[in-house]
Amino acid sequence: MVLQKADLVVIGAGPAGVAAAIKAKEMGVNNVIIMERAEQLGGLLHQCIHNGFGLQYFKEDLTGPEYAYNFIEKAKGLGIKFLLETMALDISPKREITAVSNKEGIINLHPKAIILAMGCRERTRGAINIPGTRPAGIFTAGVAQRFVNVEGFIPGKKVVILGSGDVGMIMARRLTLEGVKVEAMVEILPYVGGLIRNEVQCIHDFNIPLFLEHTVVDVHGTERVKAVTIAKIDKDRNPIYKTKRKIECDTLLLSVGLIPENELSLKAGIKLDPVTGGPIVDETMQTNVSGIFAAGNVVHVHDLVDYVSFEGELAGSNAANYILSQALFPKMKINLKAGEGIRYIVPSTISGQKKATLYMRVLKPDRDVVVKVGDDFLRKHLPIVKPSEMLKIIIPLSKLKMLKDETKELTISCTKGRK
Amino acid sequence: MAERLLYADVVIVGGGIAGTAIARELSQYELDVILLEKEIELCFGVTKATHSFIHCGLPEEDTPLINKLSLESNPMFNQLCKELDVPFMRVGKLYTVMNKNEIKILEKIKEKGDIVGVPNLEIVNKEKLREMEPNITDKAVAALYTPTTGLVSPWELVIALAENAMENKVKIMLNTKVTQILPQEDDVFIIKTNRGFIKSKFLINAAGLFADEIANMIGEDNFVMIPLKEERYILDERITGLVNHLIRSPITGDFISPTKKELAPIENNIIMGCVPQKIKDKTDATTSKEGFKRVFNYAKEMFPSISAKDIITSFAGSVPLNSRTNDYIIEPSQRVPKFINAILGGIGVTASPAMAKLIVEILISQGLKLIKKQNFNPYRKGIPDFRTLPEEERKALIAKDPRYGHVVCRCETVTEGEIVEAIRRGARTVDGVKYRTKAGMGRCQGGFCGPRVIEILARELNIPVTEVTKKGNNSRLLLFKSKELLRKNWR
Ligand SMILES: Cc1cc2nc3c(=O)[nH]c(=O)nc-3n(C[C@H](O)[C@H](O)[C@H](O)COP(=O)(O)OP(=O)(O)OC[C@H]3O[C@@H](n4cnc5c(N)ncnc54)[C@H](O)[C@@H]3O)c2cc1C
Ligand SMILES: Cc1cc2nc3c(=O)[nH]c(=O)nc-3n(C[C@H](O)[C@H](O)[C@H](O)COP(=O)(O)OP(=O)(O)OC[C@H]3O[C@@H](n4cnc5c(N)ncnc54)[C@H](O)[C@@H]3O)c2cc1C
Repeated sequence: MVLQKADLVVIGAGPAGVAAAIKAKEMGVNNVIIMERAEQLGGLLHQCIHNGFGLQYFKEDLTGPEYAYNFIEKAKGLGIKFLLETMALDISPKREITAVSNKEGIINLHPKAIILAMGCRERTRGAINIPGTRPAGIFTAGVAQRFVNVEGFIPGKKVVILGSGDVGMIMARRLTLEGVKVEAMVEILPYVGGLIRNEVQCIHDFNIPLFLEHTVVDVHGTERVKAVTIAKIDKDRNPIYKTKRKIECDTLLLSVGLIPENELSLKAGIKLDPVTGGPIVDETMQTNVSGIFAAGNVVHVHDLVDYVSFEGELAGSNAANYILSQALFPKMKINLKAGEGIRYIVPSTISGQKKATLYMRVLKPDRDVVVKVGDDFLRKHLPIVKPSEMLKIIIPLSKLKMLKDETKELTISCTKGRK
Repeated sequence: MAERLLYADVVIVGGGIAGTAIARELSQYELDVILLEKEIELCFGVTKATHSFIHCGLPEEDTPLINKLSLESNPMFNQLCKELDVPFMRVGKLYTVMNKNEIKILEKIKEKGDIVGVPNLEIVNKEKLREMEPNITDKAVAALYTPTTGLVSPWELVIALAENAMENKVKIMLNTKVTQILPQEDDVFIIKTNRGFIKSKFLINAAGLFADEIANMIGEDNFVMIPLKEERYILDERITGLVNHLIRSPITGDFISPTKKELAPIENNIIMGCVPQKIKDKTDATTSKEGFKRVFNYAKEMFPSISAKDIITSFAGSVPLNSRTNDYIIEPSQRVPKFINAILGGIGVTASPAMAKLIVEILISQGLKLIKKQNFNPYRKGIPDFRTLPEEERKALIAKDPRYGHVVCRCETVTEGEIVEAIRRGARTVDGVKYRTKAGMGRCQGGFCGPRVIEILARELNIPVTEVTKKGNNSRLLLFKSKELLRKNWR
């Protein structure tokens, strides 16, 4: 295909990508193209037919497809161009994109800016190294969700779920409603991995046996899964063999975490944060490669889609600024550092010239903690924190203005306390 | 099913590397050859769980046949793989030691290799070693370098051998299990299978771990097969470039190795392995926590920057050992000389080309007349590999068949065109598609493409989605249609 004219190319038509494209278009960018690998728009939302989306963004409780639909309609109305079934294969550090589709063949694009919104993938069995046989019947929870909600198939009738991420919990309920017996949900940590809301509504309300501080130590069956053996773990995470118990089942679902999808980013020369697995971004969501921005689960795994959309909009508006007038970009002067109790912070740098919105995760669940920015520069008491629930901290501009000129770094910590 | 009777000059039992190498070798001659395989696809036995090195032929103590066949086979791979369009690469091996006084061990191995004629062996010092392996631990002091050690994908090789054999009129029957061999009548075997009877003048036992069962059928019971399990762990291709050669301990046998970009199917990833452990159950392919620890510790010791997080998958397989010798059994049965054992053990992929030639010699000595075919075609073309093709060729491919523009597996960039072609050539299962195309081999391990591959298999094979299996038999992936269970439960 001939080189398409494009000012902005967004890779991925999930909530992050679509929100970013809308924002950029609204701000006056002419040719906005969204490239999507799948046959449909909406990213992961398209298989999330449960409710719980949009409480922040729309102040309304929507299903995934409804939430996505609102954005997609708007994007279409604005004349944003969608290339479906089109997979980006390569991005160069100079922002040259190579993509392929069955309709158009090989596509080459060289836009003024790119927004990466490729989402994430699920961690697999290999990544967590479960011993045992390799039969049919082991799926990640997201794949099972796609089979049940999109394709109309049920993997099996007796299921054990390893891991208690949100997808796993949602699937525990979904499968129960399909007549499947969920024999157990097994979690290695002493607490559930996903949102409290999902723990209550999907696990407790459906009486699903929950085994905390347990793991799967063996898989049985050579052709199809016949059973799994679970055991309690000690403080070094070694299984305590006398607590072993065998649970008969035909399916094992894994809900053991998501990993940002960044093979393309690496090809473009983008630096990744080893903790989040996503690109290191500044407060404008720009990566270390000029003109390449990123938003959504590709940057760090979100638990609420509303924040994904906000992040997409932020990337979209900054990409628009970048395309329309590079001069507007302030210099990033202050590094943000994860201190005690904090796993990561996005963004990694801020300018100090604008209100800063920080997203972060804590290392462990706790009650009555104080999140501190800098040396007592800003503090916030929180009655309860959980690693599964992202924290959002806003530093107002008025506060930032009080910083000394030579401030190069702010450490953020989360420690016990009430004030 | 209607019982049918087929005739052959030679029947080969087993569709692993042994059986297919023999089938291809015999396909040069004017013969009726039938290969029988009990599984739904070829290469679902021992050969499935390998990622083969082509060893250089360094001799071991009491295995004269293995030594001879592997030394003869190693140089054959260039031409063989060229004819069959199978990627092959000589990566070289470094027998690495961590202790100055262990250099003596290397010298001894080298001396033995030099005597039998293993080419270009060299002991490299610490500096040279670090030049060859910049990321190796500082503690490594020297290595024996064997430049002819190669890497090949066993799956590609087996499929290619079989496709080329079929091109040259060998008949391959899948899902066909030999259950009984009736006493010879008029010098002919009558072989009973689940799909009817076959009469054959010669019978070759290439049944791998199950070769003892086949031998039993003619009353040969002087050996049993013993599985020797090995575990393998595969690392993400992100760390490609970390390891350049096969690095092995001459003392424990533990190793870590890269595989190369051009090599299907674990492309670019680094693989770690460990030495075997004898087990009882022939179908045991379990990996263990202990195995993991051992393998990982060696890898980490040699390349300290490797982390457990880099592991994307693991598997185990069993080397078929026999109880009679430490060596292969490649010979006519003493009881029934037209029954010929072709029983490999360790490093059987390496030894297969010379082993197949040895089988031909044995057949001749047992009275089989061989006439070369006039029209034997030694060439076979593989499935186009979209990912490694240059842009111009990609464009041409898509222009011919737009399905090559539809990427199904995004980790390994495998297109629908390749998957459909794999099914046309005989893939029947998700694993079969995976081994032939690499779809699902990458870091997400089929998370994204799994559902699509199932759908394509169902469509191309014209079967319901719920009938698609991972690896044949009872390994169906999706057991029910949605709402089916609810209906059942209410009844
Ligand atoms: C099972 C599950 C349940 C959830 N439940 C809730 C909930 O109840 N409430 C809530 O608020 N949030 C929920 N979430 C979170 C929310 O769905 C995600 O955070 C959100 O979908 C992430 O949006 P994204 O745009 O970053 O990524 P995605 O939605 O994953 O979109 C990324 C898109 O990029 C495409 N893409 C990737 N690579 C390429 C390429 N190379 N070329 C072209 N296209 C490409 C992908 O096909 C995909 O469509 C849930 C998530 C999951 C997994
Ligand atoms: C983990 C591992 C790593 C290895 N690495 C290497 C390496 O790096 N280099 C190397 O050279 N070698 C390696 N090997 C050794 C090599 O894989 C074996 O020597 C070789 O695969 C044996 O092949 P085969 O054809 O004899 O057996 P198989 O592949 O098992 O073939 C036998 C076939 O016979 C079929 N069969 C059995 N019974 C019947 C019946 N009754 N009717 C019909 N069909 C039947 C089986 O289904 C099977 O497909 C490795 C082995 C393992 C386990």
